[in-house]
Amino acid sequence: MIDALDVGHHATTPPQPVGAAEGSDPADPFDGSPAVRRWLEQMGDRDPAEQASDVSLLRRFCAAELTTPDELVARCLRSTKSGDTAISAAGRRATDQAITAFAATEGLSGREAIVLGNRLRSFLIHNGIFLQGPASIL
Amino acid sequence: MEFNRVVGTRRSIRFFKSWRPVERSKIQVMFEAANRASRSMNADYFRAIVVNRDDLDAETRDALRNPTTTADLDLAPTYIFWYIDLDYVAGAQDRLKELVDQHALPAAHGWSKAYVDDFLWPQVLEPISKDLNAVIFMGAVETGIAICNAINAAVDQGLGTCMHAFTANDTVKPLLGVPDTWLPVWLQLVGYPAEEPEAGGQRPRRPLSTLFFEGSCDHPWDEDPEVTEQLTREGMIQEPGPFPYRAQEVRMLSRMYGLPE
Repeated sequence: MIDALDVGHHATTPPQPVGAAEGSDPADPFDGSPAVRRWLEQMGDRDPAEQASDVSLLRRFCAAELTTPDELVARCLRSTKSGDTAISAAGRRATDQAITAFAATEGLSGREAIVLGNRLRSFLIHNGIFLQGPASIL
Repeated sequence: MEFNRVVGTRRSIRFFKSWRPVERSKIQVMFEAANRASRSMNADYFRAIVVNRDDLDAETRDALRNPTTTADLDLAPTYIFWYIDLDYVAGAQDRLKELVDQHALPAAHGWSKAYVDDFLWPQVLEPISKDLNAVIFMGAVETGIAICNAINAAVDQGLGTCMHAFTANDTVKPLLGVPDTWLPVWLQLVGYPAEEPEAGGQRPRRPLSTLFFEGSCDHPWDEDPEVTEQLTREGMIQEPGPFPYRAQEVRMLSRMYGLPE
């Protein structure tokens, strides 16, 4: 189960370093991750507790997917015949589905699942992956 | 609303009051506005299907979603699927002669039924109808004009609207019984804005002098400041975005709907 900290945007966790919740680790893929740095920079000024909560959530998702943040972005990209980088429709769809599934494995449903999934989608969105999740309208 | 203010107030609205349906009467006004739009040959270039989100069952709504169009479909209560009917040239011969009868196409400007029957139809329009690139080009231009009227009619009635890429045609086509000759153009989302109608201020536009010219391309349009001032008073030119609180407005709306920030 997920704790309340990671469900919404109004958690009250003490501020933590961006990269690692338990101190800097040279082997930690979150330390110095360009994708994580870009995400947090693009999100602008935010409550440090919310930011730490989002990073913690991304960390858990990456662990579940056995990947790193930068590899997560790379999964949604492909190289074109001309050598350009393009968004991979298949990769994006698979990652989107993995996000939805992850929310379910966290024991969430309804609005909580939507919010959690969209917090993860935010990471991809701010790294250039055009992506929409569902809205909570009920 | 006065015309200049309608034009100036139009924004691409992306946050709708998901709970508030759009009155059918307002959709009819949009359709009538589109139907009154300028069109060459008096041809019917466009087709549109309106669908209310809450009339769709869950399975159908899910079928319309994809990773790039999901929140949009949740938030907007009404969807209008716009198409070009690629068969629009059919009947143009009779419609043009109808305009000759109405003195809309008068002899004063060279028009006659004989010209339509003997030259325009066989030598121009019928060949065009067999050139798919030309058909699509003309259809896109003329359908766009009609959609523009529908957009402004929506704004005039206090609605918000936004045009979206048509990303689920394979799903939509069988679902809505769309004929093979209809080519998808835009998905228009319609609803009452959850954001302020100004949506954070007027969008950046380049000066007229970069887009318009007088006499030749060597002479950019020189704005008359009095006209600019008049248009500002009348609401066509409005306070530019972003309003100081726009980021917060978007953040709060995103949180209300659980969307990414």
